[in-house]
Amino acid sequence: MNVAEKPVIAAESLIGQRIQKKDAPEKAAGKTRYIQDMVVPGMLHAKILRSARVHAKILSIDTSAAKALPGVHVVLTAADVPDQQPIGVARDHLPLKGERVRSLRDEIAAVAADSEEIAEAALKLIRVEYEDLPIVAGPEDAIKPGAPLLHPAPLDADGQPKALPPKTPIAFAGKADNIAMRFDYTHGDIAAAEAESDVVVEDTFQLHYVTHCCMGVSGVIAEFDASGNLLMYSNTQVPFLHKREFAEYLNIDPSRVRIIQPPIGGGFGSKLDIYPFEVICIFLARAAQRPVKMVFTREEEFLASPTRQPVLLTLRSGCKKDGTLTFRQVHTLHDNGAYTSWGATTPFVMMQTFSSLYRVPACDYHTTVVYTNNPYAGSFRGYGNLQATFAIEQHMDMLAEKMGMDPLDFRMKNAQDAGEVTGQGMTFKSCGFKECLTTAAERSDYRKKHADNIAHRGDPGPVKRGIGIASMLHVGGGAKIYPSDGCGTILKLDDFANVTLITGASEIGQGSETVLSQLVCEELGLPISAVTVVNNDTAITPWDVGVHASRTTFIAGNSAIGAARKAKAKILAAAAKKHGCDETTLDLRGGFVVVAESGEPLVELARLMRNLHFSDKAELVMTTFYYEPPSVHQDKGFKGDVSAAYAWATQVVEVEVDTDTGIVKMTKVTGTHDVGRVLNRLGLEGQIEGGVVMGQGYALTENLIVENGVTRNPNFRDYKLVTAPEIPEMDVTFVESRDGEGPQGAKGVGEAPSICIAAAAANAIYNATGVRIFGLPFTPEAVYRALRGKSEKPHWQAWKPE
Amino acid sequence: MTGIERYVAPASLDEALGILQQGEVTILAGGTDLMPQTNAGRIGFKPTLMNIRGVAGLKGVTLDGDAIRIGALTTITDLLNDPLVKKHAPVLAEACDHFASDQIRNAGTLGGNINNASPAGDTLVPLIVLDAVVELASKDGSANGAVTTRRVPLAEFFTGPGRTKRAANELLTAVRIPLPKPGHVARFYKFGARPALDISTISIGIAGVRKDGALTDTRVAFGAVAPTPVRAKQTEAALEGRRLDGTTIATAANAARDEVNPIDDVRATAWYRKELIHNMTKRMLDHVAQA
Amino acid sequence: MSLKHDIEFTLNGVRKRVTVDVAMNALDMLRDVVGLTGTKYGCGEGECGACTIRVDGTTLNSCLMFAVDCNGREITTIEGLAADPKADALREAFVEHGAVQCGFCTPGMVVQAAHILDTNPDADADAIKRGLEGNLCRCTGYKKIVDAVESAACCGAK
Repeated sequence: MNVAEKPVIAAESLIGQRIQKKDAPEKAAGKTRYIQDMVVPGMLHAKILRSARVHAKILSIDTSAAKALPGVHVVLTAADVPDQQPIGVARDHLPLKGERVRSLRDEIAAVAADSEEIAEAALKLIRVEYEDLPIVAGPEDAIKPGAPLLHPAPLDADGQPKALPPKTPIAFAGKADNIAMRFDYTHGDIAAAEAESDVVVEDTFQLHYVTHCCMGVSGVIAEFDASGNLLMYSNTQVPFLHKREFAEYLNIDPSRVRIIQPPIGGGFGSKLDIYPFEVICIFLARAAQRPVKMVFTREEEFLASPTRQPVLLTLRSGCKKDGTLTFRQVHTLHDNGAYTSWGATTPFVMMQTFSSLYRVPACDYHTTVVYTNNPYAGSFRGYGNLQATFAIEQHMDMLAEKMGMDPLDFRMKNAQDAGEVTGQGMTFKSCGFKECLTTAAERSDYRKKHADNIAHRGDPGPVKRGIGIASMLHVGGGAKIYPSDGCGTILKLDDFANVTLITGASEIGQGSETVLSQLVCEELGLPISAVTVVNNDTAITPWDVGVHASRTTFIAGNSAIGAARKAKAKILAAAAKKHGCDETTLDLRGGFVVVAESGEPLVELARLMRNLHFSDKAELVMTTFYYEPPSVHQDKGFKGDVSAAYAWATQVVEVEVDTDTGIVKMTKVTGTHDVGRVLNRLGLEGQIEGGVVMGQGYALTENLIVENGVTRNPNFRDYKLVTAPEIPEMDVTFVESRDGEGPQGAKGVGEAPSICIAAAAANAIYNATGVRIFGLPFTPEAVYRALRGKSEKPHWQAWKPE
Repeated sequence: MTGIERYVAPASLDEALGILQQGEVTILAGGTDLMPQTNAGRIGFKPTLMNIRGVAGLKGVTLDGDAIRIGALTTITDLLNDPLVKKHAPVLAEACDHFASDQIRNAGTLGGNINNASPAGDTLVPLIVLDAVVELASKDGSANGAVTTRRVPLAEFFTGPGRTKRAANELLTAVRIPLPKPGHVARFYKFGARPALDISTISIGIAGVRKDGALTDTRVAFGAVAPTPVRAKQTEAALEGRRLDGTTIATAANAARDEVNPIDDVRATAWYRKELIHNMTKRMLDHVAQA
Repeated sequence: MSLKHDIEFTLNGVRKRVTVDVAMNALDMLRDVVGLTGTKYGCGEGECGACTIRVDGTTLNSCLMFAVDCNGREITTIEGLAADPKADALREAFVEHGAVQCGFCTPGMVVQAAHILDTNPDADADAIKRGLEGNLCRCTGYKKIVDAVESAACCGAK
């Protein structure tokens, strides 16, 4: 288009608009190729033989018949991979188990064959002899004196502990007790704070097993080239961490590991760690010298995926007559399962909620994470915060009731404000907490309904109505756990002013490539369709720490903006030079360089780009930016401003409780989220709604039943995800606190919406029935038992190590 | 390796019965139970897999004298939308609305749901309280093999989980439901937090002819509280001919709780199942009394 | 090994002749034998709906259907629906309403939603939710999916 024909271009913003997801058309047409859909020429199919025993010594493994089956290429056991290295946070987990199995998911052997059917048939031909060991069925058993050890130290020929060099990983050196990790945190003077309390409550809460249930089951393809370089097609959420770790496990240079991430059928934290199946698939590919693909069945996904960590939690809370909180004391016991994954580290997040969701002068927090023979716990959206919030927000209601205060007033009195520095050292630069509380309460008519429901508890009829409130605090500007919490961006403009945005941030369905494109287009005045995102190949993309801690929009967003601003500066400088004007008077709008004040178009951006490329001083517009948030690592006492920003939310849940059946129907959720600023309204709503329903499942329907180490319901028939007819009416609103550090003022939100639902549901059930339930989930039978006084309150003698 | 040696898809009943007569046949209709059960190894294939979906005359609902006759291959979706079923056996349509999901209702057949003989089968309890009878066809062993049909009341058809009185050479061809008498009422309840996609924790069917404030010809049946769906004779006796007032209802609900003997499983404990049987029998009877 | 059987059917408007294992399900046949991967494996037990296909004008879970039972039938997968202009409005509604996140359940959702609108063009939100009860989604919380189908119903798209 000729510039002369182009009318004045007004400034328009993409921020806050409803932007369609870039990958949605492909997905809605069934054209997206997930890892399950990929075929690499010459690839073999792999299957894993898992333990038939919960806890046992392996006496022998005979793979001869499996190896002899036509179509079988490789059968591996621990003996075939003497170089295998332990994986996991505590290096306590060898991918293939040769001497001992510690849970039913344990990997004993693996087969690569011409087809899945042959691989399955081969597994059935492998003979394993076991010698059963006593089972540690739960966390309380794990800390009993004389409890069987999960990772006993190996003995030498004389029955003495083997002499091993210092820092030998637990997988080889063992551990003298079943304690996987401990966390101890304190601020303030607990004794003094308790002494000045007028009301103190203490209760034990019990949180259950749930699992991610990504609709796409786990899968990986591994292959080596002729030079021994590893290429993996993987659904990991942390490709750069994996690249380094796989190199370490294979004892090769990280430069020889390349990870390509095909589109992923759901993440939610499940793909944050390295799992045995990935390492085993690499071993198979190395042995077979062929590409090897491994995809789980749904049953395997249930049995061998990480879980959210079950927790026993004793909370003691106090306050003064005027409603000022005085202290919180917390002891928790976490079931780690047989090996240590990120689930063990959720206390990092839990203690933030105890220390800092409300102003509390003294907080004393202790967690013991113990080994058991159960499935091991990983990271899951919300990362411990669902469990912590469940306890805290019930206590807020209980304290309020004891003092005869309105639960909302009590919360408002203790809620955080901007500018607060908490006992844990978190600094709330932006904080919309009180606005979240008042907005959600007003929109749901909380006060009136809360009072009305209590008045109507005794009315005839089996169905009682209840309303409950709960709030949450979560990191919203990354979390400085690793040496860097940063993300890199490379931005390239071509000769048609199309943008290639090369980012380290992975798309896991949450819409990151769309929001990052939006942030770039906001700077460059281009339509979203002008952007191609490249985000799935460690050989191309710049470093990023991974998708976790609700960090992608904040960190990768700031990184993308940084690269876009550099490109813009370069473009405007070139335009100013060419047109003999001051670059500060120019702007980019609608695909043109314009005069900022008048909107008068100066030159079409594509034309300018071509001029730059093809001029005498040929120049590409290609910029890089690495964003590192201004957060700090916590000190040894877990103090420090670990995130660049903090997100807040209040959710009000309304329920109907059928007292004849115990069925709790969630009728409405009113959620107000401090998101800093709304970027993509469509994507944001989708994250919130999906999170609310995930929280609903956690509260009401989902329950991975593990008894004596055996998962009883590894299927969607009996592990009940919420279905479409069950969803509540959702009223979602946003508080825009405009965080100074956030991209366009935004904060992270990915995990927030799931966090409060169970806590608010507990308060709603109490409001409806006058019965408080301290354990999850609120399945019909659990609720019915509680209503009939037939359930035992969770009990735990809070265990304090010496 | 499945053990299947022969796959056949007969087009006529005669042909199908002839194949059955030869023995060792796994019957495939909608597949919605057979596929997952064989995949999980809960049942094994016989050497012959016979797909009866193409057998003529086994589908549809007709009026047949004093009964409606439902062909065994009629899908659950067909039943849900069938005008005869809606008119004469609305409680069956209601049960079909609580059956699995649309996709499964579209594939699953009534004959399949009956022959699968799950104690929690969703159509079984309403059919039992409607006095449904199944038709079983077979051929005798002679060369030209005459086709014979016998009828078995559904309430007597089940012998255990996955087991029925159908002989190996018989094909369940239809279900007959007697046309309701004037004043007939029937109710169905399936426990669950979801509207449908759920294995029944318990289900309850109640039917009878209302006369002078009382129920006669009372039928009560429960699902998922025993190895098969069961008639609840003591509950029926507590109701039969008695004025449906608070006392009768309380007595019947207590009888219901006392006469069932469910088990603990991942879905519920026996105690809770008994409580549900009591509470929901009472609620259903209250509704009948108020209607 | 396993018994094989030849079948012939119409797949997305094209006649197909394939040889399948007798015990194979239609899902594996579509994905592994025919090579159409838009239909997804989610559970293999008919509990999640990711494998929903249209057969002779109705929908069912292809994981529960014997591949041999496809013989003589007319089958439409998401690929067939994606090429059908009548379904454009529905797919566009999914995109416009933000009904797609990870997208793994989406093909099954779209096929089932098209069927809901075929059989009940005036479906309201409750009818749509019931129609989708056999399709699990872990990302969206369903609301935007229901909104998308409802909007396609309103504009008369099928």
